[in-house]
Amino acid sequence: MKGSFENCIRCTICVENCPVYKVNPEYPGPKQAGPDAERFRLDGIETVDKWITHCTQCKRCDFACPYGVDPSKLILNAQIRYVSKHRKTLPQLLFSNFHYIARLGSLFSLITNFITSQSLIRKLFKLIGLRGDIPFPKFRFKTLQRFRSKSVRTPIDRIMINKPKERKAAFFHGCYLNSNAPDEGRMIISILEHFGIKVAVPDQVCCGLPALGNGDLVKAKRFAKKNSNEFAKFINEGWDILYSCTSCGHTLIYDYPEILDTDEGELISKNTWNLYEYLLLLKEEGHIKFDFEPLKKVISYHIPCHLRGRGVPYPAVKIFKEIPNLKVHIQDINCCGFSGSYGFKEKNKKTTDALGHIAVESLEEHSPDIIISDCGACRMQISNFTDTRIIDPIQVLFDALGLSGG
Amino acid sequence: MKYDIVVIGSGMSGLMASIYLAEQGLNIAVVSRGDPICSVSSGCIDIAGTGDNTLDSITNFPHEHPYHKVGKKGIFESIQYFKDLMEEHGNSYSGDIKKNRTILTPIGKHRITSLVPLTMKHADISKDEIFHIISFKGIKDFFPSYVKGIFQNTDISIFDAGTHTTMGIAAKMDNDNFLSSFIEWIKSQKIKQKKVGLPAVLGITKSPWILKKLELETGKFFFEIPTLPPSVPGIRLYRRLKGIAGGKGVSFYGSADISDFKSEKNKIQYITIKKPGRPDYIDAKAFILATGSFVSGGLFLDKNIFKETVFNLPVYAPIDEELFNQDFFKLGHPIEKSGIIIDKDFKAKESGYNNLFIAGSILAHSETMKFQCGHGMAISTGVAAAKDAQEYIR
Repeated sequence: MKGSFENCIRCTICVENCPVYKVNPEYPGPKQAGPDAERFRLDGIETVDKWITHCTQCKRCDFACPYGVDPSKLILNAQIRYVSKHRKTLPQLLFSNFHYIARLGSLFSLITNFITSQSLIRKLFKLIGLRGDIPFPKFRFKTLQRFRSKSVRTPIDRIMINKPKERKAAFFHGCYLNSNAPDEGRMIISILEHFGIKVAVPDQVCCGLPALGNGDLVKAKRFAKKNSNEFAKFINEGWDILYSCTSCGHTLIYDYPEILDTDEGELISKNTWNLYEYLLLLKEEGHIKFDFEPLKKVISYHIPCHLRGRGVPYPAVKIFKEIPNLKVHIQDINCCGFSGSYGFKEKNKKTTDALGHIAVESLEEHSPDIIISDCGACRMQISNFTDTRIIDPIQVLFDALGLSGG
Repeated sequence: MKYDIVVIGSGMSGLMASIYLAEQGLNIAVVSRGDPICSVSSGCIDIAGTGDNTLDSITNFPHEHPYHKVGKKGIFESIQYFKDLMEEHGNSYSGDIKKNRTILTPIGKHRITSLVPLTMKHADISKDEIFHIISFKGIKDFFPSYVKGIFQNTDISIFDAGTHTTMGIAAKMDNDNFLSSFIEWIKSQKIKQKKVGLPAVLGITKSPWILKKLELETGKFFFEIPTLPPSVPGIRLYRRLKGIAGGKGVSFYGSADISDFKSEKNKIQYITIKKPGRPDYIDAKAFILATGSFVSGGLFLDKNIFKETVFNLPVYAPIDEELFNQDFFKLGHPIEKSGIIIDKDFKAKESGYNNLFIAGSILAHSETMKFQCGHGMAISTGVAAAKDAQEYIR
């Protein structure tokens, strides 16, 4: 029953939850773009029009639907079809290959960061359909992969020596944490090790979401296959997969079983954990204890859409409740409007900016000392609208555990 | 995860139950499949629409009606509790719980209700009252000429908001600059009438503040006219209640498809939420079922078989002929009587579960359309079931 568009009773609850519909009159909303148009698509009538690419794939409609329809999935398929029938735009080509861009960008970080900050280049960006008015993320030469010593990225036969009861986590860092925010990645690893969890950082490529979002199913499949081959080896040796990027995590759990035609998709999906959910579970089962130093701060927590879509109580919030003196305000009503590569495209500027304004206004309502968000893209977007410091939640945990001092 | 009490359903009933219980210091989770029907409602609180006086009309309700299990005192107190909560959190409601009043609908007719959001306080238009209507260029789902058809002396002004959906206009109203330009435009219209009606678009998040500013700067009284869904006042009501619950520490499980549950010795031990990846198992000492009726998916009718969709509880159903030899759209259709029959402490009769409590429109004999008692019944049975559940786990 789940997922069938025929369950739609047109209540418009999905429309009430659609951020794009709210600010872009050109987009008819998830009810029409999803189940309504699907009836025509099934009859072979061509209804797919350019407006289908206005959807950011925030998945808020799936989350809101009380009848088990997933409008965003119907829309994603229509988007892929639209892109396959039209010539790919340059931004679409660029972002479906973001994995390679990130790797190259890091390798030649000095040059890339210099070039992307030049005004002439930024004008060129605009010409090819990219936004030139917002900063491009800086690439770091010392990626997370490069930072981890060879001994941790051991081949699988060395891992087997581990004690069987040992907690072992294979970390899926994704592109952003690897190439743009390796310091946060290192914090995550030291926190996991602080709790006695053995961490490995397996060889990995992009999760495939940017390729999916830009209509390149073939490439998404190729990435998924590569990752699942590598991570399946770890799972079979008793490792759990942890992620911190909520969009990568969502792709691993929700999309891999569908885009991969092997059983490995299910295997990955079942064994993948949000970092904080994992810590919370270990604590509930009595394996670890939280011992936090007081942190006198007011925090606004921007919940990324793909964390919200998990449908579980926000795990980092549950952990933060145990930090003395810390006050956390949750903001999960608004999508920041960036949605990864979506926000870098000139054609989406109006939508992205309007949503960014709305999101930041409500984040600042409680005059926070800092804003936090799990998603690198959300942080990038929010920083364009505010001077308040914005960080990854892991940094709060890092400070509260007293790890920053030593 | 383990909780004291798990509430299934995040509509009016479930949210009010969870807020009440969280205030008692209990560890509460709300599990829902999606957003509730109250988020597409008009935002008004119907208590009993069959007479001038709400509580008095309840006396004449059939003796099986769930209201009688709560009692007039309980009904009054729980709805007062709702009213106080909304006032405390900035979305005040106007009206007297004991009385009915009217609001203007988008087709120019009146509708009976009891409590209304402040933005509809002045919507009780009398038969020959003269007022003004502001509408928006190209707006979907609101046709001011319907109202003019009945109130022929009404003047209509049209504002170009640059967008044509109620959600879109409401989102723009939340922006200070847009609101200022809207107010300037109103002033330029030289409206003569004291009262101004407009479709319900006065902001998604800042409606009380927007209303105040409008009235202060123009000297007029404004009232919202609820529109077809998407319904902005419904969104405000749902988000505010959910926000209050979250602020009191309630945990939310969303997009949750309850695929299974485990019971032992007449007690439900845990429920299983099926999802991609691993399922979630949620333990509790007691459960409150507030999944709503047919539209909300709490009840399901398939080839003459009535089903309760989570625990497969016994469902009271009207007999066949009563059900199908009827005009389906007639008010008071017998299908409205179907639902779960409860005993005096809100447990499902003959279900065999001692720690399961039932609330809201899934209750048998509630007939919320016939008696116009939807949100009122949801609030009062939600709080009543919560009290019984709290008593049980003590």
